[in-house]
Amino acid sequence: MKTSHPTRPQPKTPDGEDLLTLKGLKVAYGGIKALKGIDLHVGRGEIVAMIGANGAGKTTTLKTIVRLLPMAEGSITFDGVDLSKLSVEEVVEAGISLVPEGRAIFGGLTVKENLELGAFNHKRRAEMAETIADVVGLFPRIGERMKQEAGTLSGGEQQMLAIGRALMARPSLLLLDEPSLGIAPKLVQQIFEAIAKIAETGTTILLVEQNTRLALKYARRAYVLRTGEIAMTGSTSELAQNEEIKAAYLGG
Amino acid sequence: MNAWQRRVGATLLLGLACIVLELTFHHIVPDTAYRNMLQLALVNVVIALSLNVINGMAGQFSIGHAGFVGVGAYTAAIVASNIHKSLGERTETFANSFYVMPPAILAAALVAALFGFVVGLPSLRLKGDYLAIVTLGFSEIFRLVIMTSPPGVEKEGIRATIAELGGPQGYSGPDRYGVAQYAGPFWLFGGVIVATIIAWRLKFCGWGRALRALREDEIAASAVGVDPTRYKVTSFVIAAMGAGAAGALWACMRDGNPSVQPDQFSFALSFDAITMVILGGSGSVSGAIFGGLFVTLTVKMIEQLQRLDAIEAFKLAHPDFDLNALRMVIYAVVLMVLMVMRPAGLFGESEITRFRKREPAKP
Repeated sequence: MKTSHPTRPQPKTPDGEDLLTLKGLKVAYGGIKALKGIDLHVGRGEIVAMIGANGAGKTTTLKTIVRLLPMAEGSITFDGVDLSKLSVEEVVEAGISLVPEGRAIFGGLTVKENLELGAFNHKRRAEMAETIADVVGLFPRIGERMKQEAGTLSGGEQQMLAIGRALMARPSLLLLDEPSLGIAPKLVQQIFEAIAKIAETGTTILLVEQNTRLALKYARRAYVLRTGEIAMTGSTSELAQNEEIKAAYLGG
Repeated sequence: MNAWQRRVGATLLLGLACIVLELTFHHIVPDTAYRNMLQLALVNVVIALSLNVINGMAGQFSIGHAGFVGVGAYTAAIVASNIHKSLGERTETFANSFYVMPPAILAAALVAALFGFVVGLPSLRLKGDYLAIVTLGFSEIFRLVIMTSPPGVEKEGIRATIAELGGPQGYSGPDRYGVAQYAGPFWLFGGVIVATIIAWRLKFCGWGRALRALREDEIAASAVGVDPTRYKVTSFVIAAMGAGAAGALWACMRDGNPSVQPDQFSFALSFDAITMVILGGSGSVSGAIFGGLFVTLTVKMIEQLQRLDAIEAFKLAHPDFDLNALRMVIYAVVLMVLMVMRPAGLFGESEITRFRKREPAKP
C-alpha cells in the first residue's frame, strides 16, 4: 500500500521526529472552553491514542487540527507548516485525512462514489484505481459492495468505507475519531487490525478512542484528556499499569 | 469506431433529427394549440433540468427559479427582437434563426448567471428555509419592479429605463410589433437535448459527485476537501444559466405569446418547476424530463383542451360542467397519490438507464 500522495513528496520530517505538534491549543464554543491548552506531539510513523471520557475534548482536538473548528489560541504545526493559516481543503491537500465520528459516509451515493470522493484532490484515474485496489486489499468486504448504496452497508462496513475514503487522499497523517463506536465486536477487531496494517506502511495515526483497552493495545503512546486538559501522557505499556487509569478506564 | 467518432456521429444524427423536426413538426402536429403546448412542455423540461441541479443534486431549496427564467426571457426578447429588426425582414425564417437564437440564448444565460451569482454568493451561506426566502424574494422583486413601472409615467431616470420593458403589459419588441419568434422545433428540441446532456454529465462527473456528497453530509464533504460555498454557488449559477436559456426559448417560441409579461414569472411558475422536479424524483435527470413533460401535459393540457370543438360542444350541452375548475383538483389528487405511493418521486434519484440494485444491509 502506498502511503504518499503521488504528486506530493513524502513528509520532510524524518522518521521518528514530530510530524504534528500542538502547542497550548485553546478552543471555545461560544463562552464554553472546550480545550484549555493542549500540548501534544505525534512522531512520524507512530500510532498515538487520545483517551478520555465524553466531553473531554478529544473530537474537538481532531476537528480543530483539520480546521473544521476555529482555534482561540495556540499553534498547530504539521510537517513544518502552520495549519492555522490553511482552509480545510488545504489541510487535506497537505496530507491530513480525518475519519469523522459516526462514520459520516455519503449514504445516498454508491460505495465506489464514496471512495472516489476521497481522492477529490487528485483525481487522475489510474492512480485512483490503484488506491481503490489498495483499500479493497485492506477491506475485502468493501470490494464486494462497490456498486451498492453506502447507506445500505452495516455499521462496521460503513466504518471500513469511511477509513477507506480517508485513505483515498493518501494521507501522511490519518486522524481516526472513535472507529469502534457502535460496531459489532468481531468487526472492531478487523478494523483495528487494518489500522495496524495502515500504520505499518508508514502512515502516521492519531486515534481517538473510548475503548481504552483497544486503544492501549494498538497505540504506542497515549494522552489522557480530562475536561479540556491533558491529565496524563506516556507510553501505552506504562499507562496500562497505572492504577488510576485501571480504575477509571479499564474497570479495575 | 472509437469514442470520438461515435460522439461526432451521435451529434450529427441528433442535429439532423432536430432539422427534420423543424421542417415537419407542423405537419406532425397540425393543431396550433397542441403544438404550442408541446413546445411549452419542452421549455418546461429545460426549466426542470436546471432547477434539478440546485434543488435535486445540491439539495439547496430554491423557490425563486421563475425569476431567473424571467431574466432570461426578457434578455432574449430584447436581443432577438433587436437583431430581427436590424435584419430588416418581416418573417422569421429558419435560416435567419441561426443569426438570432445563438446570441439571444447566450445573452439570456449569461445575464441570468450574473443574477444567480449576485443572489447566490451571499445567500448560499444560509441554509434551508433562509435560502428559500432569499430566492423567493429575488424572483418577486424582479417581477414587481417590472410590473410597477408602466411606460410613459416617468420621462427619465432608472424607472424610465425599466419602463422600456413594457410594465404590466409586457415587452413586445422595440417597435411593439411583438417579440421575434425564432425558436422553432429545431431550437426547442435542440435545447432539450443539450440541457439533458449537460445535466447528465454534471451529475456523473466528479463535480456532481462532490455536490451530492455535500448534500449528504457537509462536514464529511469538507473533510475530503470539498469547499461547500464554492460548490453551492457554482451549482446555483449553473442552475440560473439553464433557467435563463429556458427563458430565452420561451420568449422566442414560435406561435407563442408575442409579448413577454411579468406575470408569466410569478411564484406559480417556480412552484410548477418544483413540482416537476419532486414529482420526477429529486436529483434524477430522467425524472426532471418526465416531470417537465407530465406537469405541462396534464395541467396545461386541461386548459388547452377547453378550446377543442368537442369540449366546447360538450360544455354547450352541459353548462354546469367546468373543466377549468377541476384542473387544480385533478393536479392535486395526482400529486397526493404520487407522494403517498412514491415519496421520493417517480424515479427517486436513479436514472432510467441505471437502476441500482438495492441489496438489504447485512448486520
